[in-house]
Amino acid sequence: MATLTALSLTILLLPLLGAVLIALAGPYLPRTASAIIANAVMFVALVLTRIVALTLGHQPASAQSLHVTLGTWAHIGPLSIPFGMLIDPLALTWMLVITGVGFLIHLYSAGYMAHDRDYRTFFAYMNLFVFTMLLLVMSDNFLWLLVGWGGVGLASYLLIGFYYDRPVAVLAARKALIMNVIGDVGIMIAMFLMFAHAGSVSFDGVFARAAAIGAPALTWIGIWLLVGAVAKSAQLPLHTWLPDAMEGPTPVSALIHAATMVTAGVYLIARCYPIYDHAPAAAETVAVVGAVSALFAATVGCVQYDIKRVLAYSTMSQIGYMIFAVGAGAYAAGAFHFLTHAFFKALLFLAAGIVIHNLGGEQDIRKMGGLAKKMPLAFWTFAVGTVAISGVPPFAGFFSKDTIIDAGLALHHPILTALLIVAALLTAFYMFRLLFLTFAGAYRGEHQPHDDQIFTMNVPVVVLAALAAIGGFLASPLAGFLGGSFGRSSPYGIAGGGLAPSISELNWPVAAGMFLLAIAGIAAAYALYVVRPSLRDNFKRALAGPRALLLNAYYLDPIYHVLVEVPAYALAAFCARFFEPAVISGIPRALTGMTSSLGDAARWWESGQLRRYGLTIAIGVVLLLAYYAFVIHAGQSSEAAIAR
Amino acid sequence: MPQVPLTDYLTLAAVLFVIGLVGFLVRRNPITMLMAVELMWNAGNLAFAAFARNFGDMSGQIFVFIVITVAAAEAAIALAIVVMVFRHRAEVDVDDISVMRG
Repeated sequence: MATLTALSLTILLLPLLGAVLIALAGPYLPRTASAIIANAVMFVALVLTRIVALTLGHQPASAQSLHVTLGTWAHIGPLSIPFGMLIDPLALTWMLVITGVGFLIHLYSAGYMAHDRDYRTFFAYMNLFVFTMLLLVMSDNFLWLLVGWGGVGLASYLLIGFYYDRPVAVLAARKALIMNVIGDVGIMIAMFLMFAHAGSVSFDGVFARAAAIGAPALTWIGIWLLVGAVAKSAQLPLHTWLPDAMEGPTPVSALIHAATMVTAGVYLIARCYPIYDHAPAAAETVAVVGAVSALFAATVGCVQYDIKRVLAYSTMSQIGYMIFAVGAGAYAAGAFHFLTHAFFKALLFLAAGIVIHNLGGEQDIRKMGGLAKKMPLAFWTFAVGTVAISGVPPFAGFFSKDTIIDAGLALHHPILTALLIVAALLTAFYMFRLLFLTFAGAYRGEHQPHDDQIFTMNVPVVVLAALAAIGGFLASPLAGFLGGSFGRSSPYGIAGGGLAPSISELNWPVAAGMFLLAIAGIAAAYALYVVRPSLRDNFKRALAGPRALLLNAYYLDPIYHVLVEVPAYALAAFCARFFEPAVISGIPRALTGMTSSLGDAARWWESGQLRRYGLTIAIGVVLLLAYYAFVIHAGQSSEAAIAR
Repeated sequence: MPQVPLTDYLTLAAVLFVIGLVGFLVRRNPITMLMAVELMWNAGNLAFAAFARNFGDMSGQIFVFIVITVAAAEAAIALAIVVMVFRHRAEVDVDDISVMRG
């Protein structure tokens, strides 16, 4: 156990070491050294995580989690906050993806960012992100989870605004940070409620008392945790930062805004399953938010023209599936979809990155087309990712999405499951639309596309393509592994956390239906974008209104602008005009004025005339003596007279 | 032996003190003013000694020694200041030395 603790601590601290090393020593080392350090750190962390996972995986189910308290962080009255790690199958699932997919994306970045001015800064930020993300999933209490939670928000802010000379990127970074802070505050309020009702903010302390706290308080805790999850995972109504976050470099979009950070909300809700098990209303809300977000994002994804924005809306939609799953009680199913999604969405982003790289930064799919022959590797890997996300067997997305639909039906969420089924149809459609517009037909751009074969970019893409192809078969090991976390009978969840232990237990009629749905979506995309492009114009004319609605993502950005930004700016302007001069600077100005006029008055006295000082002292002495003689002494003698 | 009553000592001390005080307030020569201050010190000393004798408590006399010590220190500092001022000016009138005013 001691070895495992040391290993886990090493996994956590290695990326921090890498970030600090690159930040401090980087300027004195050759340019490539920062990439080598960052990648080495990630590789070692990945190997160590594998070792820890295998060691714990071979333990009996009851001993599969490692809980070490390294010390007490704070001890304030009745509140004691430990500083410890909880490495259980759920945390390990996330850790494996963070270090595994994280390592591949670091490797890819070494090639993708090779010509960037701030090469070292980039890798320092990336390692910092990995550290904070690991802190988030390895913590054994809500306080340190929140530290990691805020840390990933910071790293995300730094990396979205990485091209800081572009105003759009800076604005997008600011937007992401503000939206994420709303979520941070949500978690803080949840923590206050936990302390008030359970007297603890550690996972064990809160979950042990979950049943005793009772529904109303627990529901509010669940809702505030959901606010945090919604902001971080880009769900309705706090999702608008995610499409804008695509201003960051493509590897950042792959790592932070697809594979890991945006799934922190899923982790949080899965981690808090004892709370949601006892707060059905909160869990119901989670499920509704997830399902509606999934459909919402899928519809918007159908009309976008920026290759990365389509993928961003697709990410939001897929996370909607996960959030629905964990809200419905199928925690393991949500974790499984997180795993497969990390594979195929990171793959899609990285393959899109190759396309963007070879087109000299072009992201508009209207200026692409016909790239399949020019960039065969990008095409084939992107195609694998597209097939995987669309839900075609035997690729990864089919199994995980189908597991969630199964669980939704088994847990009696017919309406929400219907939303997800429609979203699945749309997913197949918009992903193949993206594939066809990018790679099929004739080239529509101006630049001559080139096809750089960069080794460090090709390897991660091929590995991720393999994982996206076969990731679905991880269901059985994962079901056994996560069984330790969710395998209990609960009033709300289902056995095994809603994850079928083996392929043979899939609900085959549903699976077949989902497959046909995916085929239908693909066929529609094929018909519109390959066979009969002229049909598209008819549709565009007939559906101009809805199309404009979708192109502008339901006008939520302008609505938020009017509802939040305009009043906020008005309030700020009002304060600057009236409140600030009268109060903020008024009070100190009055104080200084008073002091200096008092000083002016006292100056007259300080004349420098020695004899006047002498006279003042003499008068003072006389007055004191008079006071003593006529007030105090007279009083004493009359008292004495009365006493006598 | 007839005793001199305490009141006589105190009257003398008061008279000395007032002479010193008035001298301090009306004269403008710093040397004279210092002498007036010495007069006030010693008026106090006289009162201390008289009380000590009257009540048979020697702490009054001890106080006199302390006062003499402090008075010597004060005189040393004050005379040093006066010497410094003389170096800059031909004559010294305390009313003219008001550089340190507020």
